Amino acid sequence: MKNYRIIVEKFVEGVLFSSSTITSLTVILIIVFLFREGIGLFHGSPLEKDFVIAVSKQNPIQELDAAKVKAIFNQDITNWSKVGGANDSIILFTTSDITNYYSEEELGSALEFLPKKLNDFIVSHPGAIMYVSGKSLPPGFNGHRIKIKDITIPGFVFGRQWYPTSEPIPSYGIWPMIIGTLMVTLGALLFAIPLGIATAIYMAEVADIRIRNILKPVIELLSGIPSVVFGFFGLIVIVPLIQQTFHLIVGETVLAGSIVLGIMALPTIITITEDSLRTIPQSLKEASLALGATRWQTLVRVVIPYAKSGISTAIILGIGRAIGETMAVLMVTGNASNIPHSFLVPARTIPATIAAELGEAPYGGMHFKALFALGIVLFLFTIVINFTVEFIKNSKKEIRS
Amino acid sequence: MKKIILVALIALVTPYLQAQKVGFKIKGSDTVLPLTQKLAEIYMKNNANTSIMVTGGGSGVGLSALMSGTTDIAQSSRSMKLDEKMKLNDAGKAFKETIIAYDALSVIVNPANKVSKLTREQLEGIYTGKITNWKAVGGDDQKIVVYSRETSSGTYEFFKEHVLNKKNYATSALLMPATGAIVQSVSQTKGAIGYVGLAYVEKSVKVLEVSYDKGKTYVTPTVENAKSKKYPITRPLYYYYLSTTEKTISPFVKFILSPAGQKIVLTEGYVPLS
Amino acid sequence: MTKKRLIQKIAFITFGFISLLVVGILVTILGFITIRGIGVVNWEFLTAMPKDGMTKGGIFPAIVGTGCLVMGSMIFAFPIGVLSGIYTNEYLKDSWLKRFIRMMTNNLAGIPSIVFGLFGMALFVNYLKFGDSIIAGSLTLGLLTLPVVIRTTEEALKSVEDSLRMGSYALGATKLQTIKRVVLPVAYPNIITGLILSIGRVSGETAPILFTVAAYFLPKLPSSLSDQVMALPYHLYVLATSGTNMIETRPMAYGTAFVLVAIVLIVNTTASLLRRFLQKKVKMD
Repeated sequence: MKNYRIIVEKFVEGVLFSSSTITSLTVILIIVFLFREGIGLFHGSPLEKDFVIAVSKQNPIQELDAAKVKAIFNQDITNWSKVGGANDSIILFTTSDITNYYSEEELGSALEFLPKKLNDFIVSHPGAIMYVSGKSLPPGFNGHRIKIKDITIPGFVFGRQWYPTSEPIPSYGIWPMIIGTLMVTLGALLFAIPLGIATAIYMAEVADIRIRNILKPVIELLSGIPSVVFGFFGLIVIVPLIQQTFHLIVGETVLAGSIVLGIMALPTIITITEDSLRTIPQSLKEASLALGATRWQTLVRVVIPYAKSGISTAIILGIGRAIGETMAVLMVTGNASNIPHSFLVPARTIPATIAAELGEAPYGGMHFKALFALGIVLFLFTIVINFTVEFIKNSKKEIRS
Repeated sequence: MKKIILVALIALVTPYLQAQKVGFKIKGSDTVLPLTQKLAEIYMKNNANTSIMVTGGGSGVGLSALMSGTTDIAQSSRSMKLDEKMKLNDAGKAFKETIIAYDALSVIVNPANKVSKLTREQLEGIYTGKITNWKAVGGDDQKIVVYSRETSSGTYEFFKEHVLNKKNYATSALLMPATGAIVQSVSQTKGAIGYVGLAYVEKSVKVLEVSYDKGKTYVTPTVENAKSKKYPITRPLYYYYLSTTEKTISPFVKFILSPAGQKIVLTEGYVPLS
Repeated sequence: MTKKRLIQKIAFITFGFISLLVVGILVTILGFITIRGIGVVNWEFLTAMPKDGMTKGGIFPAIVGTGCLVMGSMIFAFPIGVLSGIYTNEYLKDSWLKRFIRMMTNNLAGIPSIVFGLFGMALFVNYLKFGDSIIAGSLTLGLLTLPVVIRTTEEALKSVEDSLRMGSYALGATKLQTIKRVVLPVAYPNIITGLILSIGRVSGETAPILFTVAAYFLPKLPSSLSDQVMALPYHLYVLATSGTNMIETRPMAYGTAFVLVAIVLIVNTTASLLRRFLQKKVKMD
């Protein structure tokens, strides 16, 4: 009987232990899967899998950087001499253009003659640059592939252009989004920190119990409103309001995002600040008051310094709340992939980009991988924030003990 | 108490264990979405045992879902690219293509805008960021606010290919997650320009006439002009499905192509086939 | 001295005004949604399928879908979260393991919901081949809400006085018996409240379900766990940004926003009322 009971105890403990490992396991799995899907972006050429850029055999050019290829396909460069080749105009060719040169019958019903026709084309158009699937090129193809530099991590982080579906070479530069995300977050904090801390102080130190009993549930309600409702409200009310107030040409701006996010970050900041203000020993406050300080002086000189780490935690968690917010921002900031130079222009944030584009990015393609790479960046941001909070908490413990 | 909870749980779970009804999924272009949704709604009313599920995501997503077998019909606002066809061929999957309607891509501006017509070249200049003020195209001295769809929508690609001459959009373009949002923003932003399917046009925005012959003739996007191919930015809307599922799908497709179906196409603001 | 008093007075009045402003913001948002939305809501709106390109009819499938997702995620997150909370608070002494588990739980709580969406899509939809389905969406939402459940459980257990546990041990009870007979009966009002609050959170999330379950238009109720469903928050997003006729869609959007907010508020209020009721009951026992 006793043995049986010990076995039960151990068994239950085992079950409890395994449940408690789930969160750690999830964090690890999130890291594994984000990297599994996202890291492929940096493993090779920026072209879609199997695709190549090819030119005629006579063409002396062997290597081009991605920017040049983009300029060529964007018709900014139209002559080979500009990129170090012969003085010959460039003919752009992608696979679907084949029907402009050959009829459907010539290509065959299952496209079985496509490789041969591609070869015919390059022979008759030596000035062409082709963007085609490498599989469809025949053996003995009368041209050569052009080498293109791989996507690098600095190129991804500091790149300034985001054309994820541009053919033949997409641009995956997320710098404007990083700046956009940080600007929107910064704006939200400029708005939420003073309001949040003032409200928290009012609740903890000034207001009597009845007012506090009204404020507390109000703030809980505010934190319960779904983000998509905030976005909807922002879209209908705040965006036009900003446009009229500042006489802007467009109301979808960083500021609109900041206000919405600021409202959303308020409950986090208020709750945590208030909690930390309440942890102060009554004796400390009484000592200060006994020495003749006013309540205000006590607050500024004793209470706030004592609660400093709690307030910093509140601010950092507020940043965490704002930086990852998706739906509300997607609906109000306009999503232009420009680097915002003020609070009154549109901007694009990392979470909004993922939400808007992932549904439309074919599974496993480069665009899909780039969006997971964006997810990694966002994840790293939040990990830094989480560890900062841990650090503050731990250093607080050390000081107290 | 425990028994009640148990019974409640069983009652809640049992519906999930029942077998599925006959049904199929349609996925893809957001442009076709409202039309498909309406067609499906009416078809299901008349055929109670069929369930049709409609989701968006964009043309490219629909087509790649067709390849991976996660949808039965891919709705698309562009024709299948050659390399997509090759992928299907490689996988040994035969497919059917049906044009269900046409769409006239309309260029819209704020009703307060003086400009009422633009040439293709002017549109290209505006969307690639070379023209930034309405003054340059005969309007007021006001900055142009460019609205576009998200990068992987079929409409974005079609507009790039047929209006921008395959050039890239300016980075300053505001990319909206859905077409309705473009209409909404253009209607409340004075300097705005956007492009939407004809079905999305409403009174709160002004439709521009477009010229593809350097300003000789300007054409308004209407059902008639699109039907007669006078309006240049007209495109077919496609359904793609695998031959293996043709049996389940063909009654629905037949319904769309029937006069009753095409009438819905017209009332929804799209261009019927004949 | 008077100057000091004056400064104090000005400062406190300012703080009072700011607090009033925060209340004002909430009242404005709720008021706006209610005034525009309440007129739209009637029996048909709550129980009918969407009609005429979502400009008429109701939002029934979205309500049912959100219900399914809430239930699915809770079936997953409740037991694991509560068990995990019991383990870290009752079994683990202050060790590196406890700190590690706490840290990971906090980390998970700080991860943005859109990253959960990415993760859910990569793991459940693609890797485990669940496809876009209720089960994929529920699991994603379940993981998202797990830290909330764990934290509230831990908080609830912490508030149980140690003397109770000591008393139980002194009477010869084992750890398991102590937890079952002494700790949980005292802590459960707060645990239940936490669980209900996390229901509110789950029903409002959009980003995690975008790529794991949400359907744009599906006027049928789900018949299996592998079905997609419409969901209230995503439906509101769709109504607010798409649709061929924005003017006619608007009232539907207001109505949906109102229903969504109402559900969340009712859930939260129920939670706090229940807490009070149960706490009284525990005290009376």
